[in-house]
Amino acid sequence: MPVKWLLHWQPNAGTTINSQVLTEVSQCVEGINGIKGGRWKSTLSIYKAIARDLNAPLECARDFLGISFQEQPNKHYFILRGQRLVLEADSNIQSIMEKLQSYRTRISLNIEGFQYQLGDFLVKMGKVVITHSENLRGIVMEVEYLPISSLEKSRQIMEEFVDIWQELVSRKSLPGHFMHIEPNFSEYGLSDPYSFQHTAVQYVTVMIQLMASVRN
Amino acid sequence: MGEVERGEEAEAPPKQVAVAMERLGDAARLIAEIRLGADRLLEAIFLTSLSPHQQNTTTTTITTTTTTTTTTTTTTNSNNKKTISNKKALQLIAKEEINMRQHFQHLRSLGRKLEASGVLSGTLRAQDNGSWGLHMPLVCPDGAVVAYAWKRQLAGQAAASAVDRTRLALKAFTDQKRRFFPHLEDESLSQEKSGEFAISKKLRCSFGPTSSDLQHDIVDEIITERKTLSDILTGLETDAPNLKIFTYQRLDWVKRASSLSSSLTKENCGDSLKDSKFPTFSKLMMGTTGTQELDRVAVIELWVPSVFRAVVSLNPAGSVNPDSVAFFSPDEVGTYIHSRGSSVHHVYQHLTDNAGKALQYFLGTRSHASLDLLFKWMSGYQTLFTKLCRYVSKCSCLLAMDKPSGLLLPPVYRPFQQLPPKQNASSTQPNSAAKDQSSDASHAYHIGCVPGEA
Repeated sequence: MPVKWLLHWQPNAGTTINSQVLTEVSQCVEGINGIKGGRWKSTLSIYKAIARDLNAPLECARDFLGISFQEQPNKHYFILRGQRLVLEADSNIQSIMEKLQSYRTRISLNIEGFQYQLGDFLVKMGKVVITHSENLRGIVMEVEYLPISSLEKSRQIMEEFVDIWQELVSRKSLPGHFMHIEPNFSEYGLSDPYSFQHTAVQYVTVMIQLMASVRN
Repeated sequence: MGEVERGEEAEAPPKQVAVAMERLGDAARLIAEIRLGADRLLEAIFLTSLSPHQQNTTTTTITTTTTTTTTTTTTTNSNNKKTISNKKALQLIAKEEINMRQHFQHLRSLGRKLEASGVLSGTLRAQDNGSWGLHMPLVCPDGAVVAYAWKRQLAGQAAASAVDRTRLALKAFTDQKRRFFPHLEDESLSQEKSGEFAISKKLRCSFGPTSSDLQHDIVDEIITERKTLSDILTGLETDAPNLKIFTYQRLDWVKRASSLSSSLTKENCGDSLKDSKFPTFSKLMMGTTGTQELDRVAVIELWVPSVFRAVVSLNPAGSVNPDSVAFFSPDEVGTYIHSRGSSVHHVYQHLTDNAGKALQYFLGTRSHASLDLLFKWMSGYQTLFTKLCRYVSKCSCLLAMDKPSGLLLPPVYRPFQQLPPKQNASSTQPNSAAKDQSSDASHAYHIGCVPGEA
């Protein structure tokens, strides 16, 4: 599977994110000959355990994240941050959880936007909104380099792309910048060839950052 | 005019060539019309200079042209055999002048269009050495020989690759002809052994071998200890240990290409291929039937994990004569993966293009060592995603925007013109220069950073 890096928009301290930023960065992509493609969407949910008996200690995880991707509609990925676990499950696990009344969805986020083709790069620019709401919570950018699927071999190229991208965006003098955080994949037991599990872990890292900045 | 030009730039090179050829044809016709018009003017002026008596007797063949500029229906009007008064002549001259002016205007606009599409350029006009060249074959900078200089200039890059493709096609055709119709082999075919055009071969004889050719020949004599397929592949294994070599018979490759999808995850995990159906070259040679199998090898796969997969075809099977080569992503699956196929990724498409040019160069200049040189050159691409561009003053980075195509690409060019031998053990000529060049062999350049090219 081609390597993917996730970048998120970090607004400057004291500023809030607005949709103008999204328009501007989309223009940046088109500026480097990005060809606009179709829409894309991912859904991220934060689950919370439903405690039956308030006094009995919970043996299972208290809360965890679940994410599903448009490219893999029949799979759902769970990430347990505390235990550093990432799990691939069938998509009807969500209905099972509902029926069992074991976990409920505390927050559900939609990440949606357009994708752009830049030669061998595939860029997805998306806004983060709470489901059924229009309030923009964050901007997420996925950069995929189609020819390579090895994290190590693609590192240099991805770094250079991010550098070029950062330079382009900085010319627009927007209140903030894109950030890339490399999660420690080996902690989650993931190896060099890229996979959906890697994407799930990257999303978790991004979400933590976003929630931290929203709180501030 | 700007809109039209922009639209034309988006057309494919063959269309551009066709349009340019059409325009040149129109220009030639206009020039012919202008010449005819000049003739008519001269005749009219000549007639006015004659005495009326002489005018009577001269059979006038002044043709009254129609005002259309394309058709040249000449109607010798019998009425014109009468005396043409000076007034009539003046009228003719005036009409001719209008026509000529129109022709010149058309020609000027055509010239502007040709200039805009890159066919005519300032440098071409400055070259006043008669290289509009209908008489002298021209040797182009990359060694190709063309009969007419302007044909080469026509579509720039497109023409260059068209020449390469034609050469490839010619080579493939002559090889097949030799293989399937050996009884048809005649003198002209034997001259084309190296794959060049017959014209150029005769030229080389007439001008004598150049010093670089001599050097190549001497060098080849010394270094080709690797003459057999087995030697070449063994040598490649030692030179490039990260490269995995697989050999296949022609039909086996088809099976392999379709089985790529199933073994993809295995390869990605970095496990050594336990698939005994397709052993590596070294495992093959360890077996008892290794050398016999090697005689039937027609396809060689070079695989660098996570970097590229290259397919080379040999013709005939078991020989050291490479036929075609193509590069792919190691993750690509499908039956389109073969030595004449094309990758879906731009990076590997460029690699395949360069490989085709390199192959033609090796076959054309040092054909008996071509497979060995090709492999050496291809192994330079192990650093495709790590080696920075060599163009230090301007570039020296990995990813750069390629202006013509508007794509971000790593350095996809590796020079092949001065690929020297690696072993210089017993060479008789000075090898200090050669040693310097051996490090050049794996220098990487972006397409736009290549030294010596526009």
